[in-house]
Amino acid sequence: MMTNHFKIAFRSLKRHKAYSFINISGLAIGIASCLIIFLVVRYELSYDTFRPSYRNIYHVITEDKGPDGTDYTPGIPFPALEALRTDFPQVKLTGLYYAYGTQVSVGDIQNSAAKKFIEETGVFFCEPEYFDIFNATWLAGNASVLKDPGQVVLAKTMAQKYFGDWKTAIGKMIRLENAMDLKVAGIIEDVPFNSDFPTSVIGSFETFKNSRYYSYTTDWGSTTSAFQVFMKMPENLPVENVQTQLKGLADKYYSNTGPHKISNSLQPLSEIHFDTRVPGLGDHVTSRSTLMTLSMIGLLIIVMACINFINLSTAQAVTRSKEIGVKKVLGSNRKQLFFQALGETNLIVLLSASLALVIAWLALPFIKHIISIHEELSLFSVQSVVFVLFIVIMVTALSGSYPALILSGFKPAAALKNRISSATIGGISLRRGLVVVQFAISQILIVGTIVAVSQMEYVRTADLGFNKEALLIVASTTDSVAQARHETFKQALLQLPEVSMASLSSDIPSSENNAGTNFAFDHRDDEDFTLYTKQGDADYFKTFGLEFAAGGPYTATDTTGSVVVNETLIRKLNIKDPQAAVGKQIRTGGGKWKTIVGVVKDFKTNSLREEVKPLLIAARKSRFCMVSLKLKSTNLAKSQQAIEKVWDKFYPEYAYRSVFMDDNIEDFYRQERQMALLYKIFSGLAIFISCLGLYGLVSFMTVQKTKEVGVRKVLGAGVGNILLLFSKEFTVLIGVAFVIAVPVSWYVMSHWLNNFAYKITISWTVFAIAMAISLIIAWISVGYKALRAALVNPVKSLRTE
Amino acid sequence: MIALNHIYKYVNQGGTRVFLLRDISLNIAQGEFISIMGPSGSGKTTLLNVMGMLDEADEGEYLFLDQPVKALKEKQRSALYKQHIGFVFQAYHLIDELTVYENIETPLLYKDYKSSERSAMVCEMLDKFNMVAKKDLFPHQLSGGQQQLVGIARAIVSKPTLLLADEPTGNLNSQQGQEIMELFKKLNSEGLTIIQVTHSEKNAAYGSRIINLSDGRIEN
Repeated sequence: MMTNHFKIAFRSLKRHKAYSFINISGLAIGIASCLIIFLVVRYELSYDTFRPSYRNIYHVITEDKGPDGTDYTPGIPFPALEALRTDFPQVKLTGLYYAYGTQVSVGDIQNSAAKKFIEETGVFFCEPEYFDIFNATWLAGNASVLKDPGQVVLAKTMAQKYFGDWKTAIGKMIRLENAMDLKVAGIIEDVPFNSDFPTSVIGSFETFKNSRYYSYTTDWGSTTSAFQVFMKMPENLPVENVQTQLKGLADKYYSNTGPHKISNSLQPLSEIHFDTRVPGLGDHVTSRSTLMTLSMIGLLIIVMACINFINLSTAQAVTRSKEIGVKKVLGSNRKQLFFQALGETNLIVLLSASLALVIAWLALPFIKHIISIHEELSLFSVQSVVFVLFIVIMVTALSGSYPALILSGFKPAAALKNRISSATIGGISLRRGLVVVQFAISQILIVGTIVAVSQMEYVRTADLGFNKEALLIVASTTDSVAQARHETFKQALLQLPEVSMASLSSDIPSSENNAGTNFAFDHRDDEDFTLYTKQGDADYFKTFGLEFAAGGPYTATDTTGSVVVNETLIRKLNIKDPQAAVGKQIRTGGGKWKTIVGVVKDFKTNSLREEVKPLLIAARKSRFCMVSLKLKSTNLAKSQQAIEKVWDKFYPEYAYRSVFMDDNIEDFYRQERQMALLYKIFSGLAIFISCLGLYGLVSFMTVQKTKEVGVRKVLGAGVGNILLLFSKEFTVLIGVAFVIAVPVSWYVMSHWLNNFAYKITISWTVFAIAMAISLIIAWISVGYKALRAALVNPVKSLRTE
Repeated sequence: MIALNHIYKYVNQGGTRVFLLRDISLNIAQGEFISIMGPSGSGKTTLLNVMGMLDEADEGEYLFLDQPVKALKEKQRSALYKQHIGFVFQAYHLIDELTVYENIETPLLYKDYKSSERSAMVCEMLDKFNMVAKKDLFPHQLSGGQQQLVGIARAIVSKPTLLLADEPTGNLNSQQGQEIMELFKKLNSEGLTIIQVTHSEKNAAYGSRIINLSDGRIEN
């Protein structure tokens, strides 16, 4: 019996090659997309879950409730660590300092010929207590080596990178930022990639505290996001208690007398990777809504593939009627036939799943180009096998049972006489409904793609209020040795024929940096909103092409008493005429009063996700840490080489780092770009799957309508009339789908656009384009088959059987 | 009206040429009622299709209203066909999804009649065939005889000059068949040229002339 079923199933697959191809490839693409999305989502959800105390670790974050809303920072003032230790004796606590993009020199560190590395993943400074909370496998040494200053622990690959063999690394010296010499005292196993704590270089916290390079302070008033505190709760202590106690301590720790109320709260380790309010220590934070969107897309794609399957199988059921009739006459009962049909579906689904595994295997290496995953995802794990099995069962049940029910329900007499048509089995309205669902899904995805892509294009080409063309940013450091050479370095660069302008500054005009402070204007009390500051020399305005609304830049000689502000600040201070602000005095953080000499026209101070912030630009030399160069030459690579040569002459002990301004700005929107790309890929797939389905459906329709086409041709219909007959129905279905897709996609995409302070408006043209695309694609897939049907000689189609 | 001169039609089957029609020469005048008879496979339907321009002869000359059909362009032929020819089938070939009214209306849609004209013409047919009450029914709600009446109404609604009927009574019982034949006779008396293919001597007798076919040849 089983072999008979399989034989029939295989032969019918072979006989109807086109339908089998459509069925199997559609399902395979659906399953493969689903599987890949599953792997990605599972990976994102796995961050730090390998830690034994995953459920008990909490991050203490700082909330700043002000009149403009609440700001969150992952950092906390330095003295808070000891204060919390005293107030929560029952909780294990540790503080860490994180230095991003640190230069590490190894080898002959006394000499500028030492090997220099820029550690983009950063250097951590930790207490020994860190390892009470975050587990690690020690290959050499133990946590207690971090008690003393001047010690460092390296991860295995880092030790290999620096010294060739990690076994020989113990006792060797490394130099950080040309300011601290550390002895390697311990080696740990590498932290897995799916961790937000990429601790590969861990200096002792004491080193950090004692170093003049970093600004450790016992002042409660300043918070840096680089210093963070983590807790491990004992099992018997409810987190809520600690949370309330923390809130209660806010007024003890912070002088909350002004408009700003600062307090601390707990962020569970399980939220760190998904909480977009505060950046993590790792490479990226993925919001849960992004993961939801991805999962939804995966679900939609598999649903579309199932719909194809149901449509094609019910349509194809007609051609199987004779077989069913014969089997029924020969004594097969409905149940047997039902399971035979289901078995056939299962065979197809299994074939598709195998093909899907191959597709996923081929596609996986490319995943890391699309999303921020740095290791290759493994396709074969217990979970993915279970997932694929689950998909196979679900898809078989979902898409197999209805066609099986239809097939097994045929009346033998009618089936044998070929009296079954797709009309009589009543599947037409169901199939129409399913096609509508499919097209609605693909239209939603098309609208999503168009909106996401045009928003990214808008962001890319948006007028930022300054000139970002041919600007190269060379990173320097703020230590006093480097500081001393800044000005001569700048002058040397200006001598290069490739460089037309240069400016020293703390920051570029648009950046993710937020250096905020309280401030007072015109000898009044402190204002109740935050002023943001950037430091730049007198050439800053010229180099970035900033324009003035009133006044002008400060001069190179007058850099201590004069500042420049932006229009937003003036507006927030309720000053109508920018000219009126020039000459007024302003003071930040209780410092000296300085005179406003100019008001710059607003430029985008941050990414376009945020509004322009009230800004002050001053020329505090000690903060300068980059040189921005306006390049003349079109040969950017050659210019960069020339600049690097100058760098090596001035800063032999530092590694050269530079980035082009536009690349830097593009990097702001990495996640959005990735989303836009994902939309593109998956809406392409969705459209492809729905076209496959449509093509299959039309091929069946042409078979079903052979007689009707013949009759109509005899009655005088031309080829055009017949084409119209076929496309009319689908056009109506697409129209219905459109009515569903418009509100859904509008809702979803305006939600997404709310991430941006500066955004496109979704115009009707977006929907019109989506409609046009799906119509054109549908017509093309319908057209060929319909044309063939229209050209058949009616004598053939009307021959009485 | 119709002049066939030395018409041949054949298919190639495995290297040998099988003749469907051999050397058919035939003249049919306006207003005739022709019955074509012959055993199965004698070429009756093929001949009818050639005369109805649904099929083309491989050799020979076909003049319809003195125009050489073979030499006509597709467009002209299609126009000639639309204006002059109506078809009736043994299996009725009504469109299942359309009502009686809509089935009758279909050919008019392809002949560019205005909506008001169409409804007048369809109503005239419904009146003539006593089917006004059934105009909103679907084909499967009708008996075979009634379906064939709809088929005939559909064939003549656009006032063709030639009606081609391929065994119009083949699927009907004798009483229904007789009614259809009476109707044909009446239509013929109103000036319509009719060519029918039939197996039945009795039905053939309604015609003004009988042509006997055997193995693709006209027997005399």
